[in-house]
Formats: sequence, C-alpha cells, structure tokens
Amino acid sequence: MLYFAIIMPVFLIYPYMIWMIIIVGILSQISIFMLSKWFNSMYASKGYEGFVEIFGERMVRLLAIIGIGFIFLKVIVIILGYIEVVRHFIFPSVNTNWMLLFILLICWYVASLGMAITIRFIVIAFLCTAWMLLLLLKLPFHSFASIHDLFPLIPYEWTMKSWKGVLFIWSAFSGPEYLVLLAPWFNKREKILKYMTIGNAFTIFEYLFIFIASLLFFGSHYLGENKLPVMEMIRYLQSPVFERIDMILISVYLFHFVFAISIFLLLFYGATRITLKKSKDQTTRLGFALSCAIFFICIMMSNELLWKKATNQNILLELEIWAGALTYLFVPLLLFISLKRKGRS
Amino acid sequence: MKHKHTKILFVIFVNLILLSGCSPIAEKNLIEEIAPVTFWSIQKGEDEKYRMSTLIPPLVKEHKRLLTVQVDLLKEGMKGFNLKYYRELKVGQLRMLLISEEIAKEGINPLIDTILTDPDISKRLYLAVVRGNFDEYINNQLKMQEDLDYYLYRMFKHYENQGKLTIINLHQFMKTLHSPAHSPVVPVFEASDENFQYLGTGIFSNDKLIETTNNMEEQIYQLIGNDHFLKYFAIRDLSIVLGHVKANSQLNIDKSYSELNLNVQLNGRLDEIARKHNILTSDELSRFESEIESYLEKQTTQFIKKLQENKVDPLQFRKYTLKPFSKPLDEKEWLNRWELMKLKVDYDLKIQPLTDIKN
Repeated sequence: MLYFAIIMPVFLIYPYMIWMIIIVGILSQISIFMLSKWFNSMYASKGYEGFVEIFGERMVRLLAIIGIGFIFLKVIVIILGYIEVVRHFIFPSVNTNWMLLFILLICWYVASLGMAITIRFIVIAFLCTAWMLLLLLKLPFHSFASIHDLFPLIPYEWTMKSWKGVLFIWSAFSGPEYLVLLAPWFNKREKILKYMTIGNAFTIFEYLFIFIASLLFFGSHYLGENKLPVMEMIRYLQSPVFERIDMILISVYLFHFVFAISIFLLLFYGATRITLKKSKDQTTRLGFALSCAIFFICIMMSNELLWKKATNQNILLELEIWAGALTYLFVPLLLFISLKRKGRS
Repeated sequence: MKHKHTKILFVIFVNLILLSGCSPIAEKNLIEEIAPVTFWSIQKGEDEKYRMSTLIPPLVKEHKRLLTVQVDLLKEGMKGFNLKYYRELKVGQLRMLLISEEIAKEGINPLIDTILTDPDISKRLYLAVVRGNFDEYINNQLKMQEDLDYYLYRMFKHYENQGKLTIINLHQFMKTLHSPAHSPVVPVFEASDENFQYLGTGIFSNDKLIETTNNMEEQIYQLIGNDHFLKYFAIRDLSIVLGHVKANSQLNIDKSYSELNLNVQLNGRLDEIARKHNILTSDELSRFESEIESYLEKQTTQFIKKLQENKVDPLQFRKYTLKPFSKPLDEKEWLNRWELMKLKVDYDLKIQPLTDIKN
C-alpha cells in the first residue's frame, strides 16, 4: 500500500525482517490464489448481481456497510499520511484542511469521469511514480553504508515489536482484495492469476528494496528514530540543477494517491447506494457530489480530532494496520469458501 | 458546451481566491526579500548560552559583513538575525555548521536536535569543530576574500568521500552517533587571525568531544578508517614523506573477543627523504621498509590503546564482530571487551623502487 511503503522501515527496523518480507510475500500468494479463483468464476463478471446470487441481498447490504467503514479508514490513513508528508517537507505553515480539500477536489474530478477511465488512470500513475525507486539505487553505495549494517540476519530475540512488524508487512501487502469489487471492468480474466502473481512479486521486490536500502542508509539503530525514512532518503538526494528533488518527487507521488482515493470514492458511492437499496437506479452527479462531501467532512473531522502523529500513538494508523491485515485475510477466504459451498450444492 | 464553461469558471474562481491574498500559504518567498545563509558559526556566548554568527549577504553584490547575535536558543538566533538585517534569512541553503570547541566538549546534542527537526535544512550539512575565534578570522579576512564562506564550502565538498581529510555531514554523524559504538568523528579546524586550517579528526564519545588526533594519529586514522588513502604521508621522526599511499587494511577479531588483529598493507612511493641514506640496493630498501613498518606498528598500537582508554571506537571496530548468523554483543559487553582487547598490529609496506635519484 502506498503510504505504508513510505513508513514501512520504521516498523521493521531489524535486519532479519528481510526474511519476514519474503515469507509474508509468499503467504500473500495464497490469498491471491484464492482471489483468482473468484475472478475465474462466473459470478465475478456480474458484479453486484454476482454477490447477491452468492450471499443474498441482505447479506450484501450488511457487507457493504462494513465495507464502508474499511474504505473510510483506509482513505483517511492514506490521505492524512500523505498530507503529513507534504506538510513536513513542503508547506510547513499551511492548514492541512486546505490540502485535504484540494486533493479531494482532484480526486472528485478524476472519479467523476467514471470507473473505466479512473482505472485507466493507473497507467499514468504508474508511469509517473515507478521510476522513483531507481533514484534510491544510488544511496546504498555511499561510503558510509557497509554490509555490516545488515547483520545479524537471524533473530536472537523475538518481541512483541517483531510480531507487530510481521502484522505490518501483511497489512502492507493488502489491497488486492478490493480488486474483487472492480471485477466487472476487467476483460481478460483467464490470465488474472499470472498478472496478480507478477504484481505480488513486484511488491515483494519493492518492499525488499526499500527496506534494504534504508537499512544500509540509516543503519538498524538510527532507523527507528526516523518517522519518514524513505522521504528522508529522497531528501538526501541532490541534483546539481535543483536541490530539493524531494519536493518534485513528493508532488509527483500524488498521482498514485489520487488514483487510489478516486477508486475508493467510487467504491464508497457504490456501497452507499447498495446500503440505501438504490443500486438499480441511475447514478446521479448530485449523489456522487454528496458522497464526496460526506467524505471530506469525515476526513476533516478525523484530521482535527484523531490524527496525532506527534505523539507516536496514532490510533488511526494502528487501526488501519489491523484492518488491512484482516480484510486481506478474510475477504479472499470468505469468497473462496462461499464459492466452494455454492459449487457443491 | 455548457459543462465546459462551468469547468473554466471554476478554475478561474479557484485561481482568483489563491492569487488575491486569501492564499493558505503564509510564507512569502520573494527572491528580492530573502537571503539564504550558507553557514552558522556557534560559539560560547558571554552572558547568553550561544553566540551565533553568519555572513550576509551570501548572494547579491553588496558589502558583506558578519552578523552576530547572543542567544540562549538556536532558533532564537535565527530570529535575531532577521531583526538585524533587512532581508529575511532562510536556512534552506545552510551548508555548514561550525561549532566551537568549548561547546563541542560540553555536548552538541541540543544543537543537533534543533537542526534535525527543521526539514528545510538538508542532512548534507557539513559539521566542523572550530578551535579559536572564528568570528575574528572572518572579520580579518573579509577585506581580502569576499566569498570566504563559499570557498570554505567548496573545500568541504572537494574532500568529501576521498580520504585525506575527515569530512562529515549531519547524516553520517547521526548514523555513527546512533550505532552501538556511539563514537562519531568531526573534523577540527583551527582559526586564528590570518588562518583557518584543518587540524585533525575530533573524536566524540556520544555527543561530547573527547580529543583531537595529533598529526601522526590523524594520518593513521585516514589510512585505516577513512577511505584508506593519503596523498602525502609525512613521517617526521624518520624524516621521510611517502606519497600516494594506498592502504588495504584487514581486521580480525577472534571469537572470544580478546584479541584484535590488524593487518595493513601499504603501497606507496618515496616522495621525499631528508636524511643520509643508501636505499638503492634491495637489501637496504627492505631494511628501510621494515624500519618504517615497525615505527608505524608502534604508533598505531599507541593510537588504538589511547582509544581503548577513552572507551571510544571511531574506527568502527565493533562492526567486525557482527556476522550474519551469530548473536551480536550488546553495547555494554562490547565496551568491556574493547577496553581489555589485546592488539596485534602488522604493517606491510611496499615502496615503489626509486628512480631518478643520485646516490
């Protein structure tokens, strides 16, 4: 997940977490396998109707209500996390609610173009942000980085913190479960397992790369002291032409966030319609704008009341770590089991 | 068509709000009204805690002068500069932090923490400890050299990552400060009325300056600990200068952490020899080499012994005890072992054969 990639090294710290990333990544493949079974079934293409056929309408509405909660939590953490970064590095004196408003306005515009176009927006988002990883390549080869920063590679004590690290990694792998909701817009579903496996492998590689680079750059002991290690690494980069590369990179990174939040906005709108029994009616601009407004108000409120990064005990982030892990575990499992039961009866 | 118009109107509306002073951005950065500073020099104040000074203006063609404020807090100094000078000073271009030796001996953590929390200041900020009065040097030299601060920055930049001198930036300092050895190093400069010169490497224990290397120790430190290269290696006691010395050091700590084996291979040529000699024959040359070797062995052992007594580890020997699949020593245990560790230093010098001299 986007924001988690930025803060991940802080939660892992110890070099042996390298193995954990690989192990959890392989476990994540099981979830992906179960999800692909769903995509290959005939229910997936039907979208809402498919879910109704399996779970029944009441159950789907219940799930939609629960889903709204998860979506809210996820978006709040993503967007407030990003705003935190922007505020720290670019605009220290700007009221965060303004940034929130502007970002949501962009997302609203993208999302209002419709689901199909929003999904295609990922191409732009990917092309704009994927190359950033390459910039970090230079950092581990500085003279102050030595291979000894990666030692010892095996754990000699296993504390609560390590468990939390594992939970965090699992949560960071979550996200593919939301693809289930976008199934009707995919046209090649036969090869989906292959594509998702490639995606998963890329994620493992990305997390490993970020983590090892930050270990070499900071060293295991200094890493825990930083709040936004990846951003600090980017801040350390320097180009002869323009010194603050981080400003450009953070701004460009917004593409990714806009994509994710737009998708979640649309999902939120859809889920609200299902809960209100309006899923058969035509979608309206007003309804969509209204759900965006609700979104804005809710995020603003949690920004004012709950998001306190400074105390290091951010309850929303903690919740999201758990929520992400739970959805990634149970959504594929639920779909897989119900498919099997349906197949048998 | 109507839809398009609303979009355009909307964009115009947003821009109107932003441009008309309702902008949510509180800071103004008009280039004519700001002045980026390139260095801060922090010395002990008379009444207040610190005396901070900086050179302004660094960019425009205007007569340069030294600004000094007496403050208790670092950022208060930043404010003090702004009250004294008509442009607003910005720290985005801060490149060097010069800390006086007295402050460094008391601990620089409060200073460093303040700098670290400011995201405007790059982690590439160079750190240096200054012995003597830097302000007086600047005031004396300003008439001679206008762009003094810039030249100083170029010097730091030049020697970064190439050995010869120790150059440390904030990030490297923090990384070693947090590593379990807690012994960062910072270059020490000496400022007098006419001169500002590199003295040696200041060795810290936590955030306090413990001692500064002397001439010989400094050269050994460069060879073993910092990029392993010296262009001139002057050994005054033997009246010789070795040139282009490349060191290849191998370090071994035995399993019970009681003995440290240091093997250093030196390759270089003889640049200068200021005594009576007869080294064109191979016998004499090897005798000469072994004389230098034993001298260096003695000096290095002395240097490392001194470090052991001070309980510091600026050469980062501790990292050689780390192995992929063995339990690392914790900090206290390492410190105890380090103090008692036996040393075995072995130099292997290879001098390129001399040519073009008359015997």
